[in-house]
Amino acid sequence: MAIAKAERLMNLALCLLGTRRPLSKRELRGSIEAYMEAGNDESFNRMFERDKDDLRELGLVIETVENLDGDTGYLARRDSNRLPPVSLDAEEAAALGLAAKVWQQARLAGAASGALQKLRAGGMPEAGDPYAGQHSAIEPRIPVHEAAFEPLMLACRDRRPVAFDYRKSNAARPEARQVEPWALECWRGHWYLAGYDRDRGAERVFRLSRITGKVRSRAAKYTAEVPDVVTVRETVASWAGEGAERSALIRLRAGAGYPLRAKATAVREGAEGWDELEIPYGHGLDAWLVEFGPDVVVVEPADLRADVVDRLRAVAKG
Amino acid sequence: MAANAIDQTRRMLSLVTYLRERPGAYVADVARAFGITEDELISDLDVLPMCGTSFRGGDLLDIDTDGERIWWRNPDASGESTAEPLRLAADEATALLVAARAVATLPGLRESDRDALLRATAKLEAAAGEVAGASSRLSVTFESEGGVFADVDRAIAERRRLWLRYYSPARDELTERKVDPIRLFAVGHTYMEGWCHLSEARRTFRLDRVAEIRILDERAEPPAIEPRDLSEGLVQPAAEDPEVVVEVGPGGRWVAEYYPHDSAEELPEGGLRITLRSPDPASLRRLALRLGREGRIVVPAELAESARSAAREALAGYGEQV
Repeated sequence: MAIAKAERLMNLALCLLGTRRPLSKRELRGSIEAYMEAGNDESFNRMFERDKDDLRELGLVIETVENLDGDTGYLARRDSNRLPPVSLDAEEAAALGLAAKVWQQARLAGAASGALQKLRAGGMPEAGDPYAGQHSAIEPRIPVHEAAFEPLMLACRDRRPVAFDYRKSNAARPEARQVEPWALECWRGHWYLAGYDRDRGAERVFRLSRITGKVRSRAAKYTAEVPDVVTVRETVASWAGEGAERSALIRLRAGAGYPLRAKATAVREGAEGWDELEIPYGHGLDAWLVEFGPDVVVVEPADLRADVVDRLRAVAKG
Repeated sequence: MAANAIDQTRRMLSLVTYLRERPGAYVADVARAFGITEDELISDLDVLPMCGTSFRGGDLLDIDTDGERIWWRNPDASGESTAEPLRLAADEATALLVAARAVATLPGLRESDRDALLRATAKLEAAAGEVAGASSRLSVTFESEGGVFADVDRAIAERRRLWLRYYSPARDELTERKVDPIRLFAVGHTYMEGWCHLSEARRTFRLDRVAEIRILDERAEPPAIEPRDLSEGLVQPAAEDPEVVVEVGPGGRWVAEYYPHDSAEELPEGGLRITLRSPDPASLRRLALRLGREGRIVVPAELAESARSAAREALAGYGEQV
């Protein structure tokens, strides 16, 4: 039976961490059973390169030393691989324990548990009685349903340009985009990417659920400077109609439309079972008001009134 | 969870450091400290004796368990290489830091919890060093209503019943109900799961739809029910729920992003034909009205007609005839 990958990776890690001098590939191959069984040189080399990459993903700093009798040597120095002492009290440990459960994405969930285990090995205390009402009862979860998330997360981390097909909210067909990705942000349960759009020569925000097909990596450097602070949320919030500067006056049937009342800046009782509300007028207000059907009548401004009437006509015609 | 070689390797590297300090450690204690099942731990302990710095040199890790306690008979064989835990990888620092920062911003969280999160975050940033930088490339915001959150949190801790005035968007109405809170969770928005005495069933309440809340002097006695699996999505229509078919143009494709559906078939010119199920199709009248010219309900016919007649009635309010 083939030797399990975890066993092979563990052996490579222990060899690299345990040595004081760089070890050649030949020496490593002679020490690790799975490599001896690897068959020909080519399959061994492929396996070895992949394993080194995997260990680097786990945080191992593997140094490469050239010219060791014409051979390349490898080692993982203790100094560059040890976790500095972290002293966490029981409260802080409990807080990190809560944070580690938040991710609903396999890679980050695994990374969070792995981090906690390293801290535990470094002496982090165990939380006391998890209940007893000492802590907020909240269970926070970060959903990740978008397939584009992981490749984009890695591209942001490694600063690699990407290409993908993107369908704008009202477009009939997706378009190819070339982007230098800066940051990902989750707001109201949806993920967004901010970056530099090469074809448009400007910053853009993309919604991950509108990326169709695969995210492809491009081996090239960034051409635009990455800003110190990337603000995704403000852009998305303005799409959602927040930060509105205008105001609208509507009539609302008494008892109806609680969310409109919650947003209103002023509510006055009107005539015959109707109230008058002043509400912020931002992007998307017309679509929202139409949801309330005959319980809402727009008084002003005229452009909003016209948009709502237009939408109602479209529905009335079916 | 599927056995993942990377996660297992990472765990075993920490495990050897942990076991080194604790000869004769109990399986149950170690599994708890590592947040894994005893079976997962035993499978790690099966692999470790095959690992070492040289399989021929006889310095494999002599780690052994009788199923109850764990003994490592040659901790010096691996030299000092396993004496200290390994530094945090970029993904590890990112996963914890991003989550901790997000939770710390939740309105309504107890101040003692917020302080502990912020202190832990600062220490973790220092320990992670330069790899902590990558964590600035991900961020998460949870939405919550601080006052309502704090009341629900207190009611859960004190096992007390709540009284709510709650908004139902499906009916555009506020209803008063008593609820025995079970749990509080955040997935984008913040929600309470509880036993609702009005509907005599388990219900999930979104905190920003709570118009009014009071903690009652009554003991909460929710029936013992299995908590919902949050990874499966909040809305899970039942197989027997009536079918609704919506046809949308390109501008209505968002419907497929917001509504769990059985199928979404591409139409010419970038449209979609979306089939979903709803326990209460009448509640989708709002959707039909919102879509305007971007889409229409095809099935059921009564729902389509109720949207048309609502639109006609609304137009009458503007003095329009259709």
